[in-house]
Amino acid sequence: MKQFSKILKFELKGYVKNKTFVGFTVFMIALIAIVMFIPNIISAFESSDGSDTPPTDLPVMLVYAEDETLSTLVKEYFANAFADYDVKAVKDSVESIKESVVTGEAECAFVMNSAASYTYYVNNLSMYDTNTEIANSVLQEVYRINAMIQNGLSPDIAGEIMSVQIESITETLGKDQMQNFFYTYIMIFALYMVILLYGQMVATNVATEKSSRAMEVLVTSAKPTSMMFGKVLASCIAGFSQLVLVFGTAILLYNVNKESLSNPLIASIFDIPVELFIYLIVFFVLGFLIYAFMFGAVGSTASKLEDINTSVMPITYLFIIAFMVVMFSMTSGSVDNAAMLICSYIPFTSPMAMFTRICMSTVLWYEIAISIVILIASTIGIGVLSAKIYRVGVLLYGTPPKIGNILKMVLKK
Amino acid sequence: MILELRNIDKSFGEKEVLKGVSFKAEGGKAFGLLGRNGAGKTTSIRILMNVFPANNGEVLIDGEPINYDKIGIGYLPEERGLYPKKIIIDQLTYFAELKGMKTKDAVKSIDYWLSRLGMTEYRNKRLDTLSKGNQQKIQLITALAHDPDIVILDEPFSGLDPVNAMLLKDVVKEQISKGKIVLFSSHQMSYIEEFCDSIAIINAGKVAISGDLHDIKRNYVRDKLVVSTTNPKAIKADLGDACIEREDQSLLIQLSDPGQKQAMMKHIVENYDIDEIKVFEPSLNDIFVEYAGEQI
Repeated sequence: MKQFSKILKFELKGYVKNKTFVGFTVFMIALIAIVMFIPNIISAFESSDGSDTPPTDLPVMLVYAEDETLSTLVKEYFANAFADYDVKAVKDSVESIKESVVTGEAECAFVMNSAASYTYYVNNLSMYDTNTEIANSVLQEVYRINAMIQNGLSPDIAGEIMSVQIESITETLGKDQMQNFFYTYIMIFALYMVILLYGQMVATNVATEKSSRAMEVLVTSAKPTSMMFGKVLASCIAGFSQLVLVFGTAILLYNVNKESLSNPLIASIFDIPVELFIYLIVFFVLGFLIYAFMFGAVGSTASKLEDINTSVMPITYLFIIAFMVVMFSMTSGSVDNAAMLICSYIPFTSPMAMFTRICMSTVLWYEIAISIVILIASTIGIGVLSAKIYRVGVLLYGTPPKIGNILKMVLKK
Repeated sequence: MILELRNIDKSFGEKEVLKGVSFKAEGGKAFGLLGRNGAGKTTSIRILMNVFPANNGEVLIDGEPINYDKIGIGYLPEERGLYPKKIIIDQLTYFAELKGMKTKDAVKSIDYWLSRLGMTEYRNKRLDTLSKGNQQKIQLITALAHDPDIVILDEPFSGLDPVNAMLLKDVVKEQISKGKIVLFSSHQMSYIEEFCDSIAIINAGKVAISGDLHDIKRNYVRDKLVVSTTNPKAIKADLGDACIEREDQSLLIQLSDPGQKQAMMKHIVENYDIDEIKVFEPSLNDIFVEYAGEQI
């Protein structure tokens, strides 16, 4: 136990003194701070203009129709629909309209061939140009109103029919997926990033000790279980403190800037219920540990740092598959599909799958309990097994052995 | 204090690495563990240090199974290496603490050793800023700082310049005089001959010969003569295959029976002009080649 605490202390000190680690943390905190202050910064610039008058040079949109009535009607509706354009009805020839667009006098032009057909002229068509879609729906409306008027309805009634509003109220009795989606997404993504990043770090750390031959002295000085658990817990503490710092800054700054960050989307991210937060920590820590142990064991079988990338690939794939299943299920909205149900009980996938289901669906308490118990038992099992692999692995040099052979050697003892 | 390895067997998978290895090393004396590469020296040392268990056999201290919590072991591995990117005092303290020392005592002991080995100026530097020889001296501190009862030195002299080799010799002699068990493993026979009172030669996982070095030499069959002469050709022509010319141009004469010694000496002295004739005394190198040279 004394050895374990020495190892933990030494490894933690290693993280604190690691410039990349510290630099990355500071960078993330700075980034979060900037993001959280963006609304304030924007409003500071806006108010410095001193007035609320809208800018005057709106881009020009030309509208042309042979029929006078159609021209007026379309101009009127377009002026409403395209608020960020200066809509002008023109009487010129099509050629001169094209020229205005090419020279940049006007940004775009609608030439009406009939009430239900037009040509859209634009110089460079942007990927995000939605003018034709807006025009289509506006023109459909114009066409319908016209048709109603022609069939004897008064323009007022026709307008009313077209602009009828339906009122609806939704009452969520279980979980609101929309509201929970964003923080679940962020947390799953954070879990994914942190596990891969720190898992690699643990593997590299072990392989470095081995390739620098510091291991030769270490194995004679400390128990492999102490070494493995010390290293993995140190990385867990380091990773967790990094997250706490980054998310803590975010929460702090959110509360400072609450008024300017009134966006309901942002609010939904920060309004995690306490109960979910506890589940988050449980799944996060266990998920982190189980993968870190595996990464550590694999790191011990590599003789050179270059071997690590290929050695950790199976674990990385396993993890990416779990991540994909969860992400697809989340975005498709069906978090209770068969794959997710199975994944919620497999220890390598349950940290993400079960957490997502708890956040976005209704899961019975004993299902959660079973999943957590399986996960805890597997984490301990994997921890002990990886310490054994470590003991065998660290003294093997040369080509990394196959995992099957290593297991055979470990289990034989 | 007497350290004894008794009938140690060890195999990795199908491969039998040690087959009944036994030897004894005494406190206040240096013990040489010899053998060719891959003979099983490092495996023996690792079993002695409890890195992994033996399949059979025991490690005893004064006849009792060794208690690793009470007996301190210091180890200088053949494959040298510590943390290249870490500050020297930090990692030395870490290793001493892992061996059970309190931080304060560890730092005190390390400072003593740094000054003893002339390394104090590097105390707060990173290991990879040091030359290879100096890194090796730092590594030696990891083996000695916690004042172990058993000191295991694997190829301690490789890579050291003559001045540092002298320094290390003094340190080793001091450890021996303190009554510790010093276990040497080396291919540099001159050092083993200089320090070790007893040796064990391991060949293909078995102890080929072990015991007091003087006894081993004395018991060596005295059936060879060494002759220095100005006219080797004549003697060679006379004795044929029994006579080999050595590198220093002296002749080595193999007798068919040790009892022939006197007769052969007389025959040579009477018939040829010679400078010197004596019974061949093997060096450790000769013994090593004879016992470790085959079967691998």
